[in-house]
Amino acid sequence: MNEGRIPTVLLLAGAVILLFLLVPVVVVVLAAFSNTEYLAVPPQGFTLRWFAQVLQDETYLASIRFSLVLAVTATALAAVIALPACYALHQRWLPGAETIAGLLMSPLIFPAVVVGVALLQYAAMVGLRGSFPFLVLVHAAIVSPYIVRTVLGSLAGFDPALEDAARVLGTTRAGAFALVVLPSIRPGLIAGLVFAFITSFDEFTVTVFLLPPGQATLPVTMFTAIEQGVDPSVAAVSTLMIVVTGLLLLLSERLSGASRPI
Amino acid sequence: MTRERTAGLLLITPLGLVLLLAFVAPVLLMLPTSLHGYVPGRGITPGWTLENYTALFTDSYYHEVLARTLGLGLGVTVLCLLLGYPLAFVLARLRGAAAAWVTILVVFPLLLNVVVRSFGWISLLANRGLINNALVQFGLIETPLRMMFNLTGVMVGLTHIFLPFMVLMLVAALRALPRDAEAAAAALGAGPVKTFFLVTLPLTAPGMFAGSVLVFVLSISALVTPRLLGGPTYRVMSTVIYDQFLGTLEWPAGAALAFVLTVIALLIVAVAGLVTRRWTLAR
Repeated sequence: MNEGRIPTVLLLAGAVILLFLLVPVVVVVLAAFSNTEYLAVPPQGFTLRWFAQVLQDETYLASIRFSLVLAVTATALAAVIALPACYALHQRWLPGAETIAGLLMSPLIFPAVVVGVALLQYAAMVGLRGSFPFLVLVHAAIVSPYIVRTVLGSLAGFDPALEDAARVLGTTRAGAFALVVLPSIRPGLIAGLVFAFITSFDEFTVTVFLLPPGQATLPVTMFTAIEQGVDPSVAAVSTLMIVVTGLLLLLSERLSGASRPI
Repeated sequence: MTRERTAGLLLITPLGLVLLLAFVAPVLLMLPTSLHGYVPGRGITPGWTLENYTALFTDSYYHEVLARTLGLGLGVTVLCLLLGYPLAFVLARLRGAAAAWVTILVVFPLLLNVVVRSFGWISLLANRGLINNALVQFGLIETPLRMMFNLTGVMVGLTHIFLPFMVLMLVAALRALPRDAEAAAAALGAGPVKTFFLVTLPLTAPGMFAGSVLVFVLSISALVTPRLLGGPTYRVMSTVIYDQFLGTLEWPAGAALAFVLTVIALLIVAVAGLVTRRWTLAR
């Protein structure tokens, strides 16, 4: 693509479309500070009471805790099972590594709602309905493609001579992996972990079918609240999520260096 | 070699097992369920039947839901192409900090929770939402416009959700353009508009195709946005499946519908893969 001046009409169109992407986000944030019982933008008055209300609401607090524990455990489990697989694929220890890598991405093709109902029926069949460990396992499977993709990408850019050098100098293969390979793929790995965490924390469509009775993740709690009626406290929770997501995005940008699209 | 193969197998087994147990087995186990009958109050009947599948072809209610789902997917895909191309075109030409910031602003909504984003649209589009309130306040309309629980709401919401995917695919395609193609067209006397339609657009067609396939498949299987912006009455395949499994408990009918949705999604991905391979071979 050649550099050069961009026609003004196009710049304007681009700006309007970008605005379309951002308007719902901005609206939610503004509405969270409105001192009214209904959503108002621009906000009328200024208050933090919706945030206070949310942070004192045991339903929201419990679901935030539930979501955090679920996302952290699932991301850790996914990393533990995905890293060895990526290493084996990268070393071409198995025939058809390309095909296998493609298969490992396959969870992304299945419609999530189908996976959700299939797992509901499966869990009911084997007596794991509402089991938290089962939910963790499912989330690990859902987020693993994101880790596989970033780690395989980082490994492709890794100079194998470095690992050979470590081996020549007397390290074991496992030692070389921990001391040489892992540190040099760290930026990509961290970006993958952050993305996996966000995906698990935000997952709704599969999760809603598998929740333990009486417990819910934050997105499910919000979904239920919205179905019952819209008020500024939902805007306040949304704002908290927007801020945290923004911070995580900046963090992973920082850690992974370049601003490359995911 | 064999030792390495054993090591490779050992290293890949845990992930392979988890994916097999959490995706493949459960989806396959739904097939038998979809072949049973269901009697309200009694539950799933033991005999085998194809009625859940034949109903999808004979029942006018299912016809409507199927047509609506596929039409919605098509509409969202076209909207994403129309909105995504100009934005991608500008983004692909930006350099330095401007490019980085616009990329972040495009990626950010992508990372944001779907429930939050749908909520944003509810607060804008509802009967007593911000758009209607503003229009009434300025005296432009008397009664609120109906923009939710219908096609408009779901289409706007889904377009917003999937537009970033399209933009990222198109930016990749535009950046991969041979550097001299546009310059050559210009040197040969083509104006910017002619260059765009004769050079840029055809060369980015594979990217447009890949983006469209992705957006279409994601749109027809989305659940949260159609549910929140379409409400309990304006239903698509995924929301019907949701109700059949969590509400009415007609699991066999829901399983059949889920199977059809999966087959549609996988077929589209497979055919798109074949087309893309032909395309790259032809070059």
